[in-house]
Amino acid sequence: MRAVIAEDSVLLREGLARLLSENGLDVVGSCETADDLLLKVRSYSPDVAVVDIRLPPTHNDEGMQAALEIRAEHPSVGVLVLSQYVEVGLAMKLLADSADGAGYLLKDRISDVKDFIDAVQRVAEGGSAIDPIIVSTLLSRHRSDDPLAQLTPREREVLELMAEGRSNQGIADKLVISVRAVEKYVSSIFGKLGLPSGATDSRRVLAVLLYLRS
Amino acid sequence: MTSAVAHGDYVDDRRWPTPALLGLIASAGFAAAGCSLVLALKNDVIGRDVGEPLVIALLSVWVTVSYILCGLLAWWHRPASRFGPLMIAAGFANFLASLAWAANDVVFTFGQALDLLPPVLFLHVFLAFPTGRLQGRFECALVLTAYVTAIGGELVRMTFGYFGPQNLLEITENLQAAQAATRVQLGLVSAYCLAGVGILIARRLRTGRPHRRTLTLLAEAFGLALVMIALLLVSASWGGPAVQQIRWATFAALSLAPVAFLIAFLDSHLARSSVGDLFVELQTDPAPTDLRDALARALGDPSLTLAYWLPDYGCYADIDGRRIEIPGPDSGRAITLIDQGSSQVAVLLHDPALDNEPELLAAVTAAAGIAIENGRLHAELRARLAELSASRARIIEVGQRERQRLERNLHDGAQQRLIALSLELSALEDRLADDPAARASLDQARREIATTLEELRAVARGLHPAVVSGHGLEIALEQLGVHAPVPVTLTVDIDGRLPEALEVAAYYLVSESLTNVGKHANARSATVLVRRVGGEVVVEIVDNGAGGADEELGTGLRGLADRVEALGGRLRIWSPDGGGTRVRAEIPCVP
Repeated sequence: MRAVIAEDSVLLREGLARLLSENGLDVVGSCETADDLLLKVRSYSPDVAVVDIRLPPTHNDEGMQAALEIRAEHPSVGVLVLSQYVEVGLAMKLLADSADGAGYLLKDRISDVKDFIDAVQRVAEGGSAIDPIIVSTLLSRHRSDDPLAQLTPREREVLELMAEGRSNQGIADKLVISVRAVEKYVSSIFGKLGLPSGATDSRRVLAVLLYLRS
Repeated sequence: MTSAVAHGDYVDDRRWPTPALLGLIASAGFAAAGCSLVLALKNDVIGRDVGEPLVIALLSVWVTVSYILCGLLAWWHRPASRFGPLMIAAGFANFLASLAWAANDVVFTFGQALDLLPPVLFLHVFLAFPTGRLQGRFECALVLTAYVTAIGGELVRMTFGYFGPQNLLEITENLQAAQAATRVQLGLVSAYCLAGVGILIARRLRTGRPHRRTLTLLAEAFGLALVMIALLLVSASWGGPAVQQIRWATFAALSLAPVAFLIAFLDSHLARSSVGDLFVELQTDPAPTDLRDALARALGDPSLTLAYWLPDYGCYADIDGRRIEIPGPDSGRAITLIDQGSSQVAVLLHDPALDNEPELLAAVTAAAGIAIENGRLHAELRARLAELSASRARIIEVGQRERQRLERNLHDGAQQRLIALSLELSALEDRLADDPAARASLDQARREIATTLEELRAVARGLHPAVVSGHGLEIALEQLGVHAPVPVTLTVDIDGRLPEALEVAAYYLVSESLTNVGKHANARSATVLVRRVGGEVVVEIVDNGAGGADEELGTGLRGLADRVEALGGRLRIWSPDGGGTRVRAEIPCVP
């Protein structure tokens, strides 16, 4: 699995490169600007690009723009955006109309090595990884007429993990329950919320996020 | 209280003509005109050379009388100006030239020698309007040369025996030489007249159209007369067609000028009645904000600028305290200073033609005395307010920059380092697989770092909402809406980005208002709306809660009002009891 990294802090760039290499990824390039990143993506066709949202020169939205460009021009390359703040609006902007091969995580997550590597691999394989804060923010938002209230606590947990982009197996591992049990919860949740079931992992991420956001 | 400065150039030693003197001159003028008429009717040469004796005689007499009378009027009205005497002189010169119609040889010779004096005097009169003085060396040289050419050329022609047996100055008869001299003389004088037209046109281009239509008419009458003189002289010298008709037309054009002068004079007299209107207007409102317009109406000069002197700022300003630069003397604008006692209050920038009506200027500025002083105080107040709000905007701007810098430092420094440190710790944790106690400590340390990072994030966001600068208002507001204590309907109807200061102000406004909704309003829902209305961006936060929020709806909102006002906008809050709360900011923003 091949990865490129765009991060302007040397400390973090090297830390990330080491982290990914030690966990079986092949870091084929690392750079600190958006232009360099696009060049490396074009040249190396990696499986995943890990991108800091704030890149030089202005540190405004260069990283985000590069991520969107990679998503548009190189759909086979997964993009994982890292940021020190996560915003619902930015998550939705990044996903646009598909959660395939897209991730948006708080930068702090890299020190939870197992979860982080898991997220990188999911994105590289065309899945998705949405920061738990985004999901919990959306879940906790106030609604006038709240169908989420019908969910049991366990169903809520499953919904959260599902929205983060985890597969049924991933959810089962996380909650230490069987995959069959997860499947049961998922179909119950979709029934209660009125969502069409049976979608792929990343399709259902988008469906759930759009549902929570509306 | 008024002193005319700059372009007016009035002579100080006023020589008041006595009524007796004026009457005497008028009588002499009529006598001269009568004399011309008699000479013309008795002279058959005129009939042969230039057509109907009666027509040319009447035209000539009209020119003589009208110039003398208009000159008297101008002199009596404006004794300091040389224009009146100059017009009178032109009238008499016209009479003197008509002496060439006399049968007596001496009188003929005298009149003939001055034959071309009138056209040059007309040139002089037209160029010297309205002050009676020529402007600049070029005009002086032109007129002087024209006099020399007119009289000198005539004497040369007479020396060579032109004009027949009555000419007493003949020394040797050489008609060829005389003919050549004639062409040179007439050609030159007509060239001078055309140069005069050029000067009039150049003046018009420099100063723009005069503020009174009658003055435009006058200038055009001058120009037409000069063109006609030039045409007449050339066609007389080179024997063009219809010389006779051209001569009539020339006299007619010349006689237009005094008529135009009279109209302009009456018009400016009528203008004086507007001072009365101004008095009445100022009686009802002694400090009108549109004082300039009132003065412009009274002076009949729509281009008028009223500039108040602000001594503390050492500059001139309009009623709203905006700085006005006083143009230099070459700008084509005239300046009249307005004093109150010994101190200067204001200046009027006006059409130079108004310099010709100093009494009107004086009457208008006297009538507006108190109003002008009030206006000056108003302008000074506005200038201070503008200064104050500019300095408030600067303070907020500087604060904003500083907070932005701190946020960047935090982001690039402490936050990145802590994340890197946390990463190091987890790498270390891996290597201590066989020491559970150490692993637990490391895990604890990483959790501490995570908490610290969360706190730092809150601090950074409080310092400056980086997401606003980075990704725009809509993305940032969506997050506020999601976090809000009640369901929020968000509408951001803006294309592209807005100025950063405006976006940041709007963000804080929405943030603070939604926080207040949660604290006090007891509302079920809220709407947030951002959109352009005309040249403004409107930010509106409405809830359906209890309302009745008092003025102290939070010092937070007070600070936000400062922010909004510093951007030239305004913040209003409606909060009737039981009627919800509406916070609305309108901030100017050029699309």
